[in-house]
Amino acid sequence: MENILEASGLTKRFHGLVAVHDVSVQLRRGEILGLIGPNGAGKTTLVDMVNGTLEPNAGDLVFEGRSVRGLPAYRRAHLGIGRTFQIMKPFPGMSVLENASIGALFGTNGGERSIGRAREQARECLAFVGLGRRIAQRADALGGPDRKRLELARALAMRPRLLLLDEVMAGLNHVEIEEVIEDIKKVRDQGISILVIEHVMKAITSLSDRVFVLHHGEKIVEGSCGEVLRDPRVVEAYLGRRRR
Amino acid sequence: MVLLLQVLVSGVLLGGLYALMALGLALVWGVLNIVNLSHGALIMLGAYATWFLYTGAHIDPFAALPIAAASLFALGYIIQRGILNLVIRGPMFNTLLITFGIEVILTYLAQLWFSADFRTINPSYAGSNHALGGLTVPYVQALAFAIDSVLTTAMWMFLLRTRTGRGIRAASQNLVAARLYGVDPKRIYALTFGLGAALAGVAGGLYGTVSQINPYIGGPLTAKSFVIAIIGGLDNPLGVIAGGLFLGVVESLTALYVGPTYRDVASFGMLVLILIARPGGLLGRTA
Repeated sequence: MENILEASGLTKRFHGLVAVHDVSVQLRRGEILGLIGPNGAGKTTLVDMVNGTLEPNAGDLVFEGRSVRGLPAYRRAHLGIGRTFQIMKPFPGMSVLENASIGALFGTNGGERSIGRAREQARECLAFVGLGRRIAQRADALGGPDRKRLELARALAMRPRLLLLDEVMAGLNHVEIEEVIEDIKKVRDQGISILVIEHVMKAITSLSDRVFVLHHGEKIVEGSCGEVLRDPRVVEAYLGRRRR
Repeated sequence: MVLLLQVLVSGVLLGGLYALMALGLALVWGVLNIVNLSHGALIMLGAYATWFLYTGAHIDPFAALPIAAASLFALGYIIQRGILNLVIRGPMFNTLLITFGIEVILTYLAQLWFSADFRTINPSYAGSNHALGGLTVPYVQALAFAIDSVLTTAMWMFLLRTRTGRGIRAASQNLVAARLYGVDPKRIYALTFGLGAALAGVAGGLYGTVSQINPYIGGPLTAKSFVIAIIGGLDNPLGVIAGGLFLGVVESLTALYVGPTYRDVASFGMLVLILIARPGGLLGRTA
């Protein structure tokens, strides 16, 4: 299977602190790759480097065969890299529908030129995540779980080829988590490759084709779910957190 | 009673022009977070552009407005793309300083090229009125008011209904997210500043038909636009209209009942009062 994303030797330093150190990872086309690690392991920093929010200090990043290092975030969005935020960032003064339509209007390949078609696309994505009845509300009136759904719908409306999901399940209840897991599987079935950051272990085990683990900014292990979760280094990383 | 009504009519007509002047400033301020101190100088250039087209090419001042707007749009786009985009992520003080510098440069270039003489745009119908009951409505001011209303509505629709307008609103509401969904901030910023300058250009042309122009009108007009933008709030163009009309009426009433020299006292006094009572602006949401 060919790789849609290849990161090699990615390193990010914030002044003295090395947040991500020499991380190499490949994401295959059409797979769901789980990214786990204790708090502060550098997961979000890694995702930020993939979509262009942060520039790495070293290393290279190849998306669909071309290096995207140095490309501004909006250009990477045009190439088909979409993401959601752990801390939700809706456009507060717009309706839910307008929020999602921004993804459709400006996303992959520069987005949809027609407002009408973009609105249809946004409407479909909102219905898909279960926000179909809320489209007229203002985004800042939504509760936490619905904001998470909006993040997902807005990213899907971009028609991405690679979707980076940064803790879309945090704060959801069991039923809602089941729903989102099913949604993500359906997204993958449309041919979209997905990188999932998640603390909810059940989500990682039922979604991921492969998992890799970051600890103190370094990749400690990579493989199938079963292998990784039994790995003594992973157990230690997580137990170390618990002991605190 | 007729006198009071007449003052109210004049105040509303004046306020329409004020609103248009402030609209561009408020747009740029709201989206780019730049208080454009050169806004008044752009209004001044719009006035001169219209004056030259009228006196030099004999184009009716109202027909000349689109040309003035297009020229100012180009100038604004270049200023943003070439200069302001370089410092937009910096502290606000940098953009204040640079737009102030642009204001000084434009003012003195205007003095050099156009001389410091007072000019007026004086088409044949300049003095004509329409008598309505006992009230006098000057044609030029009424037309200026109509153009202002149309442009403000068009601006509002543009921001709500078009792809670019939505990109502008997305960038102003959450820049980080907008970039990640594919909005190119530098292009959006240049377009926004261009639009702000185009609105200043139209406002300048209309200002020239109702008042005298010289290279130094920019500074006071920036101050006035600033007051209106604050009174109206930056949330939506309707607030700016409200702010403009409010200020126009207050100034006209002050000029009649207190004395013309107290007009600015009234406008800046209102600013202080409104900042105390409704810090979000007349129509703005208060915190």
